[in-house]
Amino acid sequence: MIWLVFFLSGFAALLYQLVWQRALFAIYGINIESVTMVVTAFMLGLGLGSLAGGALSKDSRRPVLLMFSLVEAGIGTFGIFSLGLFRAVGAATLDFSATATAAVTFGLVLVPTMLMGGTLPLLVAHEVRASGNVGRSVGMLYFVNTLGSALASLAAATFVMGSLGQAGTVRLAAAINFSIAAAIYVYAARKKSADARASIASEPPASDAASAAPAASPAAHADRTEQGAT
Amino acid sequence: MSLALASAIAALAGLISLAYEILWYRVFSFVNKGSPMTFGLLLGFYLLGIAFGSLASRAYCKNKRATFDPAQLRALAGFVFFAQLLSFSVIPFLSWIATKTSWTVALAPVGLSAMLLGAALPLVAHFGIAPDERAGARLSYVYLANIVGSACGSLVVGYVLLDVWPLEKVSLAIAMTGFLLVAGLLVAGKARGLRGAGAWMALVAAGAGTWASSPRAFDRVWEKLQYKTELSLGFRFAEIVENKSGVITVTGSGEVFGGGAYDGIFNAGVRYDRNGIFRTYALGAMRPEYHEALMVGLASGSWAQVVVSLPTIKHLTIIEINPGYLKLIRERPEVSWLLDDPRVEIVIDDGRRWIQRHPDRKFDLAVMNTTWHWRGHATNLLSVEYMSLVRQHLEPGGVFFYNTTHSEDAMKTGLTVFPYGMRIYNCMAVSDQPLALLRDKWRELLLGIRIHGEPALDLTQEYDRGRMDELLELVDSLEEQPPSREGLETKDSMLARFTGARVITDDNMVPEWRDPLKEQLAR
Repeated sequence: MIWLVFFLSGFAALLYQLVWQRALFAIYGINIESVTMVVTAFMLGLGLGSLAGGALSKDSRRPVLLMFSLVEAGIGTFGIFSLGLFRAVGAATLDFSATATAAVTFGLVLVPTMLMGGTLPLLVAHEVRASGNVGRSVGMLYFVNTLGSALASLAAATFVMGSLGQAGTVRLAAAINFSIAAAIYVYAARKKSADARASIASEPPASDAASAAPAASPAAHADRTEQGAT
Repeated sequence: MSLALASAIAALAGLISLAYEILWYRVFSFVNKGSPMTFGLLLGFYLLGIAFGSLASRAYCKNKRATFDPAQLRALAGFVFFAQLLSFSVIPFLSWIATKTSWTVALAPVGLSAMLLGAALPLVAHFGIAPDERAGARLSYVYLANIVGSACGSLVVGYVLLDVWPLEKVSLAIAMTGFLLVAGLLVAGKARGLRGAGAWMALVAAGAGTWASSPRAFDRVWEKLQYKTELSLGFRFAEIVENKSGVITVTGSGEVFGGGAYDGIFNAGVRYDRNGIFRTYALGAMRPEYHEALMVGLASGSWAQVVVSLPTIKHLTIIEINPGYLKLIRERPEVSWLLDDPRVEIVIDDGRRWIQRHPDRKFDLAVMNTTWHWRGHATNLLSVEYMSLVRQHLEPGGVFFYNTTHSEDAMKTGLTVFPYGMRIYNCMAVSDQPLALLRDKWRELLLGIRIHGEPALDLTQEYDRGRMDELLELVDSLEEQPPSREGLETKDSMLARFTGARVITDDNMVPEWRDPLKEQLAR
C-alpha cells in the first residue's frame, strides 16, 4: 500500500514539475537565467521540504501516515489553483529585478515543492520503525517514487501533455494527489483500529502494563505513531 | 562524523549526476533538433535508471548493523567507478550510434549510467544513518545534501562551464570529479590489501584512459549529432559556437543551425535567393511606410538587414535570446555592419518576456523569423496569448509578420487574433487593417531598396531583369486556385482549407505535440 501510493505520489509530482516549469518559462522566459532560476527554486524547495519532513518525523508519537495524507491533499489543492496563481503573480511581477523575480519564483514553488520534499523523510521514518533497516527502506521508497516519476516523464512526453494540455495535466496530477490522500487516510484509520484491537487482545495484566511500555520496539513506536498516541 | 561524510558523498554524487544530466540534455536535444519530447524521454530513462539503481542497492543493505561499516563505502566506490566509465561514454556513443541507426538507442546507456549513480543515496544512507527513531530526520539531511549537490551540479555546469568550455572539456571535468569521488570513497572505505591495490590501479588506469581517449571520442561530435546517418566523410563545420544558451553551428556554405535545427543562411540579397529572403522584401511593400520595427530572433541577421534597409525605417529593436549569434555576425563583414548601424538596437533577452516588460513600446512592424513550430517552447511565440500581446504593441495598421514554418495551426491562430491576414509562402502577415501586395509598389520597393548601400537588383543586367519578372509574378499568385505553396494566399482561402487546424494556446501547445511520436523521433 505504502509503496503504491508513493509510486503515484512520484508520478503526480513529476507531472506538476513539467507543467509548472513550462508555465513559469512562459512568464519569465526560456533564457538560461530564467531556466536556472526556476530549476534551482524547485530544488531548494525540495531540499527545505526534506528538512521539514525530517523534523516532523523526529517525534515518534506523530502520526506520519496521516501527515503524509495531509501533505498529498495540500499538494493537490495547490495544484488545482497553481496555473491561475502563476499567471496572476507573473503579471504582477513582470517589472521586478532579476533578484526580486528569483525571490518571487522561489516563493511561488516553495509551498508545493516543500510538501513534495517532505514526503520521503516522513515515509522513511515510518518504514524504518517497522523494518529497522535504513538502506532497504530508503532504497525501496526511493525506487517506487522515482519509478513513478520516470513513468510520468515518459507518459508526459508521449501523450499526456499533448492530449490533456497544461491545465488537464495538472488536474490529472491533483486527482492522483487527492486519491492518495484519501487512500492513506483510510489505511491509517484501519491500521489504527486493527492495532488497537491487537493491543487489547494482548494486553498484559494491569500491574505489568506500565513496565512493558518503555521496552517497546521501534515497530511498536511506529504502531503508536499511527494511532496518534500522545 | 559518519552522517557528515554520508552527506558529503550524497552531495558530490548529486552534483555529478545532475552535471551529466545537463550535458546529456544538451546533446540529446541537439540530436533531436529541440523536439519537446526529448526532455521527457531523457528524464524518463534517467529516472528509470535512478529508480532501479536504488532498488539494486538494497542487495548491499541486508545487514541492519552495517551502519558506519567502511565496506559500504567500498561497495559504493564500485558503483560510482563504473558509473563514471559509462556516463563519460554516453555522448561519444550517442554521436556514433546516431550515424549508424536511431539515436534513441543511446537512451539505454543513459539509463544504465543513472542506475549506477542511483545506488548512491540508499548506500550512503545505510552507511551514515542508524536505524533508530531519528532515521527520518537524518535521512532528510543526507537527502538535502544530495539535492544541494544536484542544484550545484546544474548551476556549475549549465550556467558556468558550458559558457566557457566546449562539450569535451566539460565532460572530462565531470568524469575527473567522479574519479576523485571514487578515490575519496576508497580512502574512507579503507581499501587495503590486494583488492585495495587492484581498485587503486583500476582507478588510475581509468582516469588516464579517459583523459587520453577524450579527443578522439569527441572528434566531430556536433557534426555526427546534426547530420546523423547522412554525415559525409570528413565533413566539418566552418564554425561552432558553444555557450550556456546553446550550440550554433555554421557550414562552409553559410548555413546556420541553432541547437541542431536549420536557422537560416547568411544572405540578404534577393538576386540569388537561397533562403526565401523575398518574403521579407514583400513585407516592405505591404504598407506605405514603417518607422518603428521590432524583430524577435536575429540568428544570421539576414532578415534584420532587409528590415532595417526598408526605405522609411527609423529604428529597429532586435530581441535575441542567444548572444552567440552576435559573435558570429561580428566575424562576417557582409553582416557585421548591422551591429554598428545606429538605427539598430540589439537586446539579449527572451522575446516574449521583453514584450511583456515593455508595454509602452509601440511598433509599425513586428517581425519574427524564429524557429520551427514543432520545437520545444515554440508555443510561447505562436499562441493566441502571445499574438494578442504583440497586437497590443502595434500601432493602428501595424503589421505582424511571422514565419509559421508551414504550420497551419500557426496560420489559423494569426487569423484568429487579427482581422486581416495574408500568407506569403510559409510566412503570415497579419494586421488590424487590410493588407495588399500591389505590383507597382512591389516593383518600386525592389528598385529602391539598398542593402548596406548595394541595390537589390540592377536592371541593366539581364539576369536581374529576369529575376525582377519572377518576383513580380508573386503578386499574381494571390488569385491562384489551388493556392500556390510558394506564393500568396488570402485569409478566406486559408480558412476554407484549414479544416483540421487548431488555434494554438499556451495551454494546448498544439504545434509541439501534433506530430506522431515516430515522426518526432525521426528528426
